[in-house]
Amino acid sequence: MTLLQVENLSVGYKTKKGILHAVNDISFTLEQGRSLGFVGESGCGKTTIGMTLMGLLPENAVITQGAIHFNGSNLLHFKDEQWRNFRGKGISMVFQAAMNALNPVIRVDEQIMEAIEVHSPDIPKTEIYKQVKNLFNMVQISEDRLRDYPHQYSGGMKQRAIIAMALACNPKLIIADEPTTALDVIVQDQILQEIKKIKKALNTSVIFISHDIAVVADVCEDICVMYGGQIVEKGKREEVFKSPRHPYTKTLLASYLSLDSDKNIKVLEIQKPPDLITLTGGCRFADSCKHKSKNCENHTPGWVDLSPTHQAFCFEDILNKDNND
Amino acid sequence: MIEDNTQPAPIIELSGVTKEYRTKATFFSKGYTNVMAMDNISLTLQRGEIFGLVGQSGSGKTTLGRLLLKLESPTKGIMKFNGKPINDLKGKDLKTYRSKVQMIFQDPYQSLNPHLSIAETILEPLIVNKIGDIHSRKEKVIETLDTVSLAPGKEYYDRFPHQLSGGQRQRVAIARAIVLDPEFIVADEPTSMLDATIAIQLFKLLQQIRKKYNMTFLFITHNLAAAQFLCDRIAVIHDGVIVETGPTDRVIQQPEHPYTKKLIQAQPKFNF
Ligand SMILES: Nc1ncnc2c1ncn2[C@@H]1O[C@H](COP(=O)(O)OP(=O)(O)OP(=O)(O)O)[C@@H](O)[C@H]1O
Ligand SMILES: Nc1ncnc2c1ncn2[C@@H]1O[C@H](COP(=O)(O)OP(=O)(O)OP(=O)(O)O)[C@@H](O)[C@H]1O
Ligand SMILES: [Mg+2]
Ligand SMILES: [Mg+2]
Repeated sequence: MTLLQVENLSVGYKTKKGILHAVNDISFTLEQGRSLGFVGESGCGKTTIGMTLMGLLPENAVITQGAIHFNGSNLLHFKDEQWRNFRGKGISMVFQAAMNALNPVIRVDEQIMEAIEVHSPDIPKTEIYKQVKNLFNMVQISEDRLRDYPHQYSGGMKQRAIIAMALACNPKLIIADEPTTALDVIVQDQILQEIKKIKKALNTSVIFISHDIAVVADVCEDICVMYGGQIVEKGKREEVFKSPRHPYTKTLLASYLSLDSDKNIKVLEIQKPPDLITLTGGCRFADSCKHKSKNCENHTPGWVDLSPTHQAFCFEDILNKDNND
Repeated sequence: MIEDNTQPAPIIELSGVTKEYRTKATFFSKGYTNVMAMDNISLTLQRGEIFGLVGQSGSGKTTLGRLLLKLESPTKGIMKFNGKPINDLKGKDLKTYRSKVQMIFQDPYQSLNPHLSIAETILEPLIVNKIGDIHSRKEKVIETLDTVSLAPGKEYYDRFPHQLSGGQRQRVAIARAIVLDPEFIVADEPTSMLDATIAIQLFKLLQQIRKKYNMTFLFITHNLAAAQFLCDRIAVIHDGVIVETGPTDRVIQQPEHPYTKKLIQAQPKFNF
């Protein structure tokens, strides 16, 4: 069953210099129980997508086009009241740098209870506390730490508590925005396994945002690669990571450092990120693309089908050229 | 390393440095508990090297950075900069020291002042240290923004931190740290928020800066692959204790301590 369908979504921010086109004409679908990963460089619009889905864009943001169908309703028609009821229940989000967002003067269990109470004021407190204990079990924080204050937790424990809070109202979709960025690799690995387990156990859909391709590859079945506010390649994890076709995806994979990387790994010329205020209309990656032609600077690329589930936003001749080297 | 007969003192020398935190009694428990954040650390950094510090969350890495910046004092031990003790620096000497030593903090969501524009954030150290005039400062800020690939610098000049993405904030923090051309930089997880293409460019940038100014770096990271790429030597820290030090390639290819082995095991694998 399709849970989420985003159609031609564009989001901009008003700035002194004009509208900054942070997200541009984005479409994707997500089935119930599946996981979708967004990867792309810093500033490419990943968090903006998450915030749009949560109805939490800042004051200066404008949604200029598109539709977001979730479970039968178009979220973009929601009134404030509807958003309040929907958040946490329909979609909940683990925000980027959320670890620091736990209230330092309130005990962790009370913060999670509050998250549940907002949506279900009629459930008796004892019942809610049972749920809190279950959630802690699920994210593997021992019960005797329930009454702690956040500063008594390590980074990894705080992140688990945040995930517990996001799960509190049993949402259909969880958006996790860089949930492991501040954690060490050992803790990161534990959290990723946790997320996969929860997804399986509750049939929750997951949107996972990260700049780290290894992390996304671990958790997500489907992948969207973003560049400069646009999706430039999408497909199944194996398709995108095993046979990447868009020049940016290839660049991204080639610059990934692993323990067996060559010290002389080829590093691209510094890429100037595209200017999202004065857009030229050509391909946004053209400046950094080694295959660019005149066409790329003057014409907007289009979606090229590479398989029934794998597409790239580029020009056919460029995609073929790139495949041969 | 540059051969030199005069044998200059190492830029940083730590001997027996210990930092204990005493956490306050809570409402329910009387008395104090002590957290040993760093336990008897001895370390020497040569001028111009990039030294990596790797280890799990909570092992004491940031604490070491904060001590070197003199944001906190060690409970025990001696710290030297260019051969001179810095434990008791005060007043003018402390101010001079602080202009030579900078830190890039782990979390740009906390380290940038939300009320200062990007320009003001990077200008501040220049103003505090009375460097240049209005025009040269502005030029320097734009040049520095370019250096960290926030380009064109002019476009970011008037923005505030909340108008930037996470990674862009981190680049502002880096710009702020390098704007004074310091001798020594503590970089605490500077790329944990950046994607691979930008992270690697930043590493290249640090290498260039090191070469050009003979700057010294303490590079704190969880990412062994990044350490391998960037660092001449590394130390592995576990529960406040350095368990292994050596040339990066040796430590990663022939790890001796079980914790180092565990860390290598847990590195994310990306093989399709
Ligand atoms: N409130 C705002 N006002 C103006 N511009 C903004 C605002 N918030 C974000 N932007 C800009 O919109 C673009 C997209 O930002 P977004 O936070 O979605 O990026 P991101 O992909 O999540 O990046 P990161 O990986 O660094 O977190 C960036 O260029 C950013 O500078
Ligand atoms: N102000 C403080 N009061 C009490 N304990 C503290 C304080 N600052 C740090 N600690 C404790 O000291 C230990 C070392 O912390 P530190 O921040 O140096 O770790 P780290 O290695 O930087 O971890 P991470 O990789 O998660 O950033 C931790 O157990 C931490 O909880
Ligand atoms: Mg983001
Ligand atoms: Mg730290």
